[in-house]
Amino acid sequence: MKKLIKHIGLAALALSLHSGAVLADEFLVGEDEPLTGALARVGMGMHEGISVAVEVFNQTNGKHTVKVLTEDNESSPAKAIAAVEKLASQGVVAFTGGYGSNNIGPASDAANKLGLPYITSGGVDNGLVQRGYKTFFRINNTAGYQKAMVGVLDDMKVKSASVIYSTKEATAHLAEDVEKDLTAKGMKVGMHPFDPGISDFKPIVNKVRLRDKSDVILMVGYENDYVGILRAAKVLKPDVKAMIGVWSLATPKMAADFPDLMPKVYGTALLPYPATFKTEEGKRFYDAYKKLYKKDPDYLGQFGYVQSMILFNAIARAADKGTIKSGGIAQELAATDANTLIGRVQFTNGDNLNFVHHMGQHQGDRIQIVWPKDAATADMQYPGVPW
Amino acid sequence: MKRSLIAWIAILVVCIAVPVLLGHNNYIMSLFIAALVIGGIALAWALLGNLGGMVSFGHSAFFGVGAYVSALSTMEAGVPVMAGLLLGGVGAVVASLVMLPVLRLRGPYFALAILAYAHIFKIVATEWSSVTGGSGGLSGIPAFPRMLGIDLAGKSGSYLIILAILLVFILCYQAIRKSHYGIALRAMHDSEDATRVVGVNSTLLKAMMLFVSAFMTGVVGAFNVHYIGFLEPDYAFNGVWVTLPIIAAIFGGYRTIWGPVLGALTVYLVDQLVFKNLIPSGHQLILGGLLVVMIIFSPRGLVPVLFKSGRKHASA
Amino acid sequence: MTDLILQALYSGLLQGGSYALIALGLALVFGTTKVINLAHGELVLLAAYIAYTVESGLGVNPVLAIPAALVIVCISAVIMYFLVSMVKTDRELNSLILTYGLGVILTNAILLIWSADIRSTSSAWLQDAIVVGPLYSMRSEPMFFIVSVVLMGGLWWWLSRSWYGRAVRAVAGNRDAARLMGINPRRTELVSFVIAGILASFAGVAIFSYGVIQPSLGHVLTIKAFVITVLAGIGSIPGVLVGALLLGVAEALTVTLASSALQELVGMILFLLVLFVMPNGLFGRAGRRG
Repeated sequence: MKKLIKHIGLAALALSLHSGAVLADEFLVGEDEPLTGALARVGMGMHEGISVAVEVFNQTNGKHTVKVLTEDNESSPAKAIAAVEKLASQGVVAFTGGYGSNNIGPASDAANKLGLPYITSGGVDNGLVQRGYKTFFRINNTAGYQKAMVGVLDDMKVKSASVIYSTKEATAHLAEDVEKDLTAKGMKVGMHPFDPGISDFKPIVNKVRLRDKSDVILMVGYENDYVGILRAAKVLKPDVKAMIGVWSLATPKMAADFPDLMPKVYGTALLPYPATFKTEEGKRFYDAYKKLYKKDPDYLGQFGYVQSMILFNAIARAADKGTIKSGGIAQELAATDANTLIGRVQFTNGDNLNFVHHMGQHQGDRIQIVWPKDAATADMQYPGVPW
Repeated sequence: MKRSLIAWIAILVVCIAVPVLLGHNNYIMSLFIAALVIGGIALAWALLGNLGGMVSFGHSAFFGVGAYVSALSTMEAGVPVMAGLLLGGVGAVVASLVMLPVLRLRGPYFALAILAYAHIFKIVATEWSSVTGGSGGLSGIPAFPRMLGIDLAGKSGSYLIILAILLVFILCYQAIRKSHYGIALRAMHDSEDATRVVGVNSTLLKAMMLFVSAFMTGVVGAFNVHYIGFLEPDYAFNGVWVTLPIIAAIFGGYRTIWGPVLGALTVYLVDQLVFKNLIPSGHQLILGGLLVVMIIFSPRGLVPVLFKSGRKHASA
Repeated sequence: MTDLILQALYSGLLQGGSYALIALGLALVFGTTKVINLAHGELVLLAAYIAYTVESGLGVNPVLAIPAALVIVCISAVIMYFLVSMVKTDRELNSLILTYGLGVILTNAILLIWSADIRSTSSAWLQDAIVVGPLYSMRSEPMFFIVSVVLMGGLWWWLSRSWYGRAVRAVAGNRDAARLMGINPRRTELVSFVIAGILASFAGVAIFSYGVIQPSLGHVLTIKAFVITVLAGIGSIPGVLVGALLLGVAEALTVTLASSALQELVGMILFLLVLFVMPNGLFGRAGRRG
């Protein structure tokens, strides 16, 4: 009996000491993510990056910890609003996540009404940053992808390009911006929009081969589109010097799933594969990711990580200044000037105008960064196509 | 008569109680509003099926058109939001005009022809980017105004609007059903040839039901677009505006007037509050299973089973 | 220009061949049981995913997955048949909604089992280009076109020559008369579902071999199959082939001559046109339409 009381006493003592330290500085952050539905794949990728950020932040900050509560918005705007409200009622101080401007818009609207900051990397619609919200932040935008594509084309010194693009929002937007940029530089640009449901790209690629006769083919779409276009190109063998895509293309996954279609293909990529990191933080990110998910990080994880670290650091700063209850997090976010895995991040009206993506190329069984020069890990193999 | 008056009062009490008791809980209110949107479409769908005798797999067409018309008229032409709701309904009716040739088709052909129209509208919305904003859609759509001291853009306010819309629709549905149009329609349902012999213009009646159903769905679509504030073709004409209302209507009992709305509330709330927490990744599967089970065992839905009313239905 | 159009015609025909394979199962079931199986596309997709599993698990050519696909898909088709036969009232419309629900279940089940990642064959042999003059194609395309034609020929022969085949046609024509003649309509309906399953299996493996699959494809395939069934008219097997070829060529020409963003539009407009102008389809017998 005496022993029992002693045990209970010790436990109570330990708990009271422990809880004092932990509960005071743990912050709840909401994650509104599409984990099911049309955007499920992207949502899961982001989620992984955010979870890694939680790990790394809690280990390195020393003073504060964060905990992320996740709600699935099922790729639907109405449920995104509901998710934000549910999380807010559970006491979160800010939001990270979201994908698709159509879901992020209403969700960040709801967050703004509640006075809670919302940071994301999944919304390219410019309308998002034109609302004048002090609480909305995004670390990437279409312009960053466009600069990368146009940049690598500059290096290649080509005269003409054909753009094959999906009529979905983000892809059409990017394709049109790229066209404007290239025509301004005096290049001949052939535009070929396609319905997202198309599976046979031979007619389009044939048009490019016989009519456009361009130097390069630019592909703006999603994985299934890339596979279709590359397959058709392998069959028709148009006389081009490079096949260049955007997101989801220069990834280890594509190299593993479709090894015969990827050689010498370009796509946007933040990190080379196998990943090498020049910074301490990069290494921490990579190790934590590998430990949690037993695989290499991809671009979604990288974005999810960067945006969340920025948020958590802002929370920590606001906590130190004691301004959390008075909108401090949003103020700290606005004042962010950080060097991250995606480069320097600063916010102007909530948009990170510094954002410039990198271009990677599948070379052998690796992915090398080939543009811009100061981040390059190898020279581009140009001209070069998978056939 | 007395029983239905009591029923109405009870329903009104419950409806008012919801925002009073739960109005501070934004999350629950959001769920109610979303469920009522589905309920509205389910009601319109059931009306077309019961009174018009036509099952449609493409109500998303009316929903999307209503949304776009209302959004564009309030954004470009400065029409006040409440009027925009009506314009959305009218727009959907105009859209249904192009579907008139399809009216003479039988059951499954009509259902899938409407689906084809929904696909076509979606493509038009995507391609006609100068007007509709293309695949990027529209953002910054005006929200509901303040009226009579209530902020209608807030949760309780929006709830009251959609509730009012639905109650008005239900009254209209009841009125049509009781009117001689309704009798003619129900007779037609049993035997179109017999009624035509008697002199009922079945095609005209069917067309009018199509218009009513389209109008209702259009208004609901317009409501939704001002509540959400964003619109794009994929969302406006999404398959979910077809699937969920059908499941809701079947579950609640699509032969009854209250069935679809009650079905929508039950299915949506149980799905989001219970299933989603039990099986985060697979709960949509449960909805499909629910539909299958309902059709086989109780095609009249759950409401008739629960409230074994003395109403006799002449038709199967 | 002629090169472009020739390639478009060629690609369109090959694509049409596999559309025919996808549509045939739906058309057969519809013709014999008056039930539109809205989950047919999901059956095809299931076969495609089985091909993927066999290829990635055993490392063999996906064509070898056909036996496994046949077994699993046919069992699913039989289950579907039994569920449909449990519908008592308002058969036509209720079975429509029922199969719609089945489609939702299957699509989500596929999503849960295989995740939303896109899949396609990695077999180089199937993807190698075959060049005939100015016409290009992947090896898998003409290969499955021939398979398609052979299967259709076999089906047509079976329906017109074998006893069971003719029983199926009898039930389609007049159920009660057929029963009076000693044919068990329920068993023949079951047979047609099984045959639809067989056709779906081949179609699924074909799709995996030359295209990209993802869980959302099921619904798309069902719509295509229905469009072609309507184009063909009820009760005509050659009609399905012609309708499918027509759709394939129309799509390819639209993409080549106009914009690829309109490919889906073509199918829908063709569908509506046929409904208005030729309600019996291209080859159908006069069916009750209005």
